[in-house]
Amino acid sequence: MPQLWVNGKEIELSEEGFMVHPELWSEDVARAFAEGEHIAKLTDDHWKVIYYVREYYQRFRIAPMIRKLCKDTGLQLKEIESLFPSGPAKGACKLAGLPKPTGCL
Amino acid sequence: MKIPLRLAKREDLRIIGVEPVAEAELCSRTLELMGEFRAFARSFSVMLETCTGCGACAKACHSYLGTDDFFNIPAARAGLLRRIFSRYFTWSGRVLGRFSGAAEFGPGTLDSWVDYFYQCNACRRCAKFCPFGIDTGEIVLAGRTILTRLGRAPAFMVNIARNELTTGNNTGILKPAIIDSCSFLEEELLEETGLEIRIPVDKPNTEILYLPSSSELFVNSDTLMGAAKLFHYLGVDWTLSSTLLEAANYGLLFDLDVMKKHNNRMRIAATAVGAEKVVMGECGHGWRAAKMYSEGANGPFPFQLTHILELVTERLPDLNLTKLPIRATLHDPCNYGRGAGLVEEPRKIMHACVEDFTEMTPNRDRNFCCGGGGGLLMDEMTEIRMELGKEKSEQIRRLLPLDYIALPCASCKAQFPLLLKHYGMGEVRTGGVLDLVGRSLVLNRQQDERTSPQDCLGG
Repeated sequence: MPQLWVNGKEIELSEEGFMVHPELWSEDVARAFAEGEHIAKLTDDHWKVIYYVREYYQRFRIAPMIRKLCKDTGLQLKEIESLFPSGPAKGACKLAGLPKPTGCL
Repeated sequence: MKIPLRLAKREDLRIIGVEPVAEAELCSRTLELMGEFRAFARSFSVMLETCTGCGACAKACHSYLGTDDFFNIPAARAGLLRRIFSRYFTWSGRVLGRFSGAAEFGPGTLDSWVDYFYQCNACRRCAKFCPFGIDTGEIVLAGRTILTRLGRAPAFMVNIARNELTTGNNTGILKPAIIDSCSFLEEELLEETGLEIRIPVDKPNTEILYLPSSSELFVNSDTLMGAAKLFHYLGVDWTLSSTLLEAANYGLLFDLDVMKKHNNRMRIAATAVGAEKVVMGECGHGWRAAKMYSEGANGPFPFQLTHILELVTERLPDLNLTKLPIRATLHDPCNYGRGAGLVEEPRKIMHACVEDFTEMTPNRDRNFCCGGGGGLLMDEMTEIRMELGKEKSEQIRRLLPLDYIALPCASCKAQFPLLLKHYGMGEVRTGGVLDLVGRSLVLNRQQDERTSPQDCLGG
């Protein structure tokens, strides 16, 4: 089972490495995830995406449509892909504390 | 080869109605389940008793060609089940035992089934080349259902099945998010075309219920926009359903009980909106499940069932399509080409939508699987999926340079970008057939001014 330690506390992760309790998310959790996602430093654009995804999830219990994410953050898909090397569906959702999106993805 | 597949936990299996079998009862329960399959599907025993081991299936199978693992030869794969069947259900196996190729059920039996039944995409290409027509894809799906009932099923599929049974779609999208996403796409369509093109949800008294892949409300939105433009152009009265936003039916791939339950949602959803016709979107196995299994599972249904690519083909003379200046090919999803007879329709549409349509070889019912079919989209299988897609990548390489590969199936849409990147062809664009219909349908004047492939494919 993957583990994540943040400020001396263990954050419970699913077998796929996503948060089991999204409500325990903090910016430090995102920073801790970033390392495993090969993101050297979280920039303003990273936070813009993370907060957008997170707020959408809090409202709708699901990750936003990628097209909408691009439109509302003003970032191109390619830019988001370079911000989050494992892609918006996996990388951005993981850093924002969402469960792993599933389906034909 | 041992595979890194993650199996579902007991508590998750219980959510989809499966009670895992205790270790001590595995052998007897496996034999019982095989006996049930034998009684229920005569094809199961006929196919298990017929193989002569001629090996014609070896070179037909992309899984064997890509992994070079003996047990990925269809005859050897099915042999893992066949030898147990032979030992307990045939006269020769009972009397002659291993001299007739039979084997006792042992501690490793089920592990080998998991490893090799989940390296098969159930594409059925082996059946096409077998002199007896033995369909190892069918044996694999039967084997997977038996494994599930014993308590061994992929966590990925169980999670999807849970979403299907609770929300009516694979992705687990609830109604408020469906409404939000569809409203957003309506704004996008207005911005692009200047037209008020609607994507209705749960609209009562509607002629057509449209079932897309729920992935279109997450990643493949161009496919849904293509459908919306088409219905708008034709003036069709249509709706999506928030209780069945899904053409897929993962039960077909690992548990026939789940298949049956999810399939019945079609009746409920169609009745709720009063639909006379259910139109299925771009989903390979979902189309096969709906077309080939509905009647036996829950039929007859009080509505007509058709596929959107059949509908487009039928209405081609009415559509004002401008050919896009791109070079494109079509990948036949296995479940269309070999599963449910949807072969010429996508080609007719491609010819109408693009200037340079080129066929890959082999194609139609001899096409190779992309390696993502049969529900193998789980992350932990990515490396193996790249091996399974090796033949496909070689087919594509022979066609370069290419602007676009049309993939009328959500599994193929998920697999191809990874495959192309892995084999160094990441520059080729992929998407649905409907995406192209949406782009070449002349709804306003601006579309006539597009000249480059980038203009046509959106950036």
